[in-house]
Amino acid sequence: MANIAEQRIKREFKEVVKSDEVSAFNIKVELVNDTFTELRGEIAGPPDTAYEGGKFKLEIKIPETYPFNPPQVKFVTKIWHPNISSVTGAICLDILKDQWAAAMTLRTVLLSLQALLAAAEPDDPQDAVVAQQFKENNPIFQRTARHWTCAYAGGPKSDKELEEKVVSMKNMGFDEHKARVALSTKDWDVTRAAEYLIS
Amino acid sequence: MGNCFKSSSNDDISLLRGNDHHDPALEPAPFVEPPPPYRPQQRMPIFHPSPGVSRPANQLTEDEQIKIAQRLGLINHLPTGKYDGTNKKAKECVICMNEFVFGDELRYLPCMHCYHRECIDDWLMRSFTCPSCMEPVDAALLTTYQTS
Repeated sequence: MANIAEQRIKREFKEVVKSDEVSAFNIKVELVNDTFTELRGEIAGPPDTAYEGGKFKLEIKIPETYPFNPPQVKFVTKIWHPNISSVTGAICLDILKDQWAAAMTLRTVLLSLQALLAAAEPDDPQDAVVAQQFKENNPIFQRTARHWTCAYAGGPKSDKELEEKVVSMKNMGFDEHKARVALSTKDWDVTRAAEYLIS
Repeated sequence: MGNCFKSSSNDDISLLRGNDHHDPALEPAPFVEPPPPYRPQQRMPIFHPSPGVSRPANQLTEDEQIKIAQRLGLINHLPTGKYDGTNKKAKECVICMNEFVFGDELRYLPCMHCYHRECIDDWLMRSFTCPSCMEPVDAALLTTYQTS
């Protein structure tokens, strides 16, 4: 890796580790290898959102041209959010693309992602299905996002009804995750979700 | 001599010539050769005609070359200086995150943010904005010309 990239990541790593946000358990970064090309991040779901109580893991790849180009970040933890792909975890956020600036750091990226969880941009979606539900059926979106936080990010158990629907489809022989995706996509209508999985 | 040594004529220098250069004697072998060993002096400078696009100098269109030349000219108009510790606010370069050391070459942007010359020049070739305040450098340059 280019010298400047490695040097900067080392410094930033120290900066995040001793920041206030880390001591408040809001964000976290860990090294994956000792070459500083790959890191693992974690952000806490912001309070008063459907992601509250969840811990979301992120994969962070540092390009050789860092900090002149942004880090490549995606969600490892599955999440239901208009700007994050529910399939791949890819993120649609301007600062990770053309609005990146060399003065931004791992800390500001993680805090921006936390802000994105609190304020979705459904008009600039990464996941069209989620964005449509967000706009057209927001109460169902909120329940679904909360349910995913519980199922994948260790969030608090909340919605018995949704959990039972997943279990009932599991009992029909469907894979749990696929059933959850189908139910979420079809606004928790079991019949339509089953049809969606069979077709 | 037979053509057993065809690949030896396909040396590093061929990479420095333009893509449109066609010499049947230098026609590369059908298989892809392993890349030549790293030799800094022989490397083409890499340019960034637009964000996220990086290309060696010999693969730029004419418009891109003009744009890059203009950009280089504008960058050279920005004031430079050596770090002497008088500016108490600017202690480190936020691009490389190293503290300024006496004698470091600095470049000042119209928004008054300053960086290592080498660090900021590399950034300005990709994006003509201040990395700290996002102020577009050319717009700011124009306003300084108007007010002065």
